[in-house]
Amino acid sequence: MRSLVSAELLKLRSTRSAWIPLAAALALAVVAVLASTTAAGPDATPHLSPATLPGLLRGSGGQFVDGAVLLCWIVLSAGEFRHRTAVTTFLAEPNRLRVVSAKLIAAALTGAAVGLLAEALSAATSAAALSAHHVPLAWSQPGVLGAVTAVPLLAALFGMLGAGLGLLLRHTAAALGLALMWVFVIEGIIPALTHEPGIIRWLPEAAANAVLHGASPAATTLSAGAALAVLAGYAAVLAGAGAALTVRREIGTTTG
Amino acid sequence: MSTIAVEALTKRYGTVTAVSDLSFELAPGRITGFLGPNGAGKSTTIRLLLGLAAPTSGRATINGRPYRELRDPLRRIGALTCPDVFHPGRSGRTALRIAARPARIPGQRVEEVLELVGLGGAAHRRAGGYSQGMRQRLALAAALLGDPETLVLDEPANGLDPEGVHWLRGLLRGLADQGRTVFVSSHLLAELAQTVDDVVLINHGRLVAAGPMGDLLGRAGAASLKSFFLDATSPDAPPAHPAPTRARSLS
Repeated sequence: MRSLVSAELLKLRSTRSAWIPLAAALALAVVAVLASTTAAGPDATPHLSPATLPGLLRGSGGQFVDGAVLLCWIVLSAGEFRHRTAVTTFLAEPNRLRVVSAKLIAAALTGAAVGLLAEALSAATSAAALSAHHVPLAWSQPGVLGAVTAVPLLAALFGMLGAGLGLLLRHTAAALGLALMWVFVIEGIIPALTHEPGIIRWLPEAAANAVLHGASPAATTLSAGAALAVLAGYAAVLAGAGAALTVRREIGTTTG
Repeated sequence: MSTIAVEALTKRYGTVTAVSDLSFELAPGRITGFLGPNGAGKSTTIRLLLGLAAPTSGRATINGRPYRELRDPLRRIGALTCPDVFHPGRSGRTALRIAARPARIPGQRVEEVLELVGLGGAAHRRAGGYSQGMRQRLALAAALLGDPETLVLDEPANGLDPEGVHWLRGLLRGLADQGRTVFVSSHLLAELAQTVDDVVLINHGRLVAAGPMGDLLGRAGAASLKSFFLDATSPDAPPAHPAPTRARSLS
């Protein structure tokens, strides 16, 4: 399994369209902290204080990294069929379940690693920015550890969601289109269509926001732990469906 | 023991039968040409053999096992199914390293096969910038990665220039002389006639003829492989192998 995971990670490193979004997300994690802190100060709005730190760590890295890891693994897994590299993949390892497992492990590792790196960059930038505003750094306050843990965990799940969606649809543009439509349109209209406003909390984007920003006072979101469990469920369903179809479907070689 | 055995292999897609009750066996140390008109079922048979598609009935095995049950398959069988199985943004070297990694084939072997197929100087370039002939050579290098005892090559001469075709002929002969089984599908009948020892000819998914090329041509009174092929696959030709077709050894 280790050699299969290693092959998947080599595919990531050698695919520009997959790693460029990750690099961009890391850059944005720094820019987001700078943007949040530049306009602010101890006497300005938003007000900078030691309690600002967890928010900076959660908000800056999290959303960019989740989207980038999702995009990266959609491109990698659906791209196997677009470029027919699935043929060489499954000739080298005909046990398709092992290949799918390796992809999911590699996707989760990518998310966790990029999430941790984003948190490290956010932490360093936050430290510099807060110090520049003479705000004391309180690393041991509640929320800091939660942010540093939540962002990589969430990114790992988004990596698995991307890999599963790519394997399920086998079409890069369709999978990317569906992911974007889901985030910007579909998830927003589901409560209206179902006449169940409370259903939103169980949907992936809302669950991700609950993990990053915590439960709302009005209890319209899940707790971070429950939201993580919901996202893990979505990742398991997509990965399972992708795996089942990958095992059953034929791998095309020629158009003739 | 034969390295490849196809037994009563059938593949249907809805109402279309792509391969029908096909049986043949291949023996080591020989080059076998796999012939048939367009749509005869050659590529489907090769995909079934390589586990890329599942048969409706029957089986295709390598050393007694279906491809999907092989341990370390790249060291048992090398396959070229199509030249366009590499990511255009990756270099030839990286594409082979990715293919080699699951089988723990060392980087030194990657460099060896790149040199063997004449891509040593272009290994750092992106596969998307390769000519069709270079992509074909890269696909051949991937097939040779595990130094396998059996090679299955679907149209390996496509895109090669005359020098490349000549080089390929020598390469395949050398591999067969080492005792390996070489199974080659091609439409280039004149070239194939200079390369193969045995022939498996199919049409409409069914076996038409199989055996040593000299014997088949002699029995049919054909002057060349091309005239044998055209006679055997013409609409007026009698069915050579009514079902069920029995497996037959070619050696």
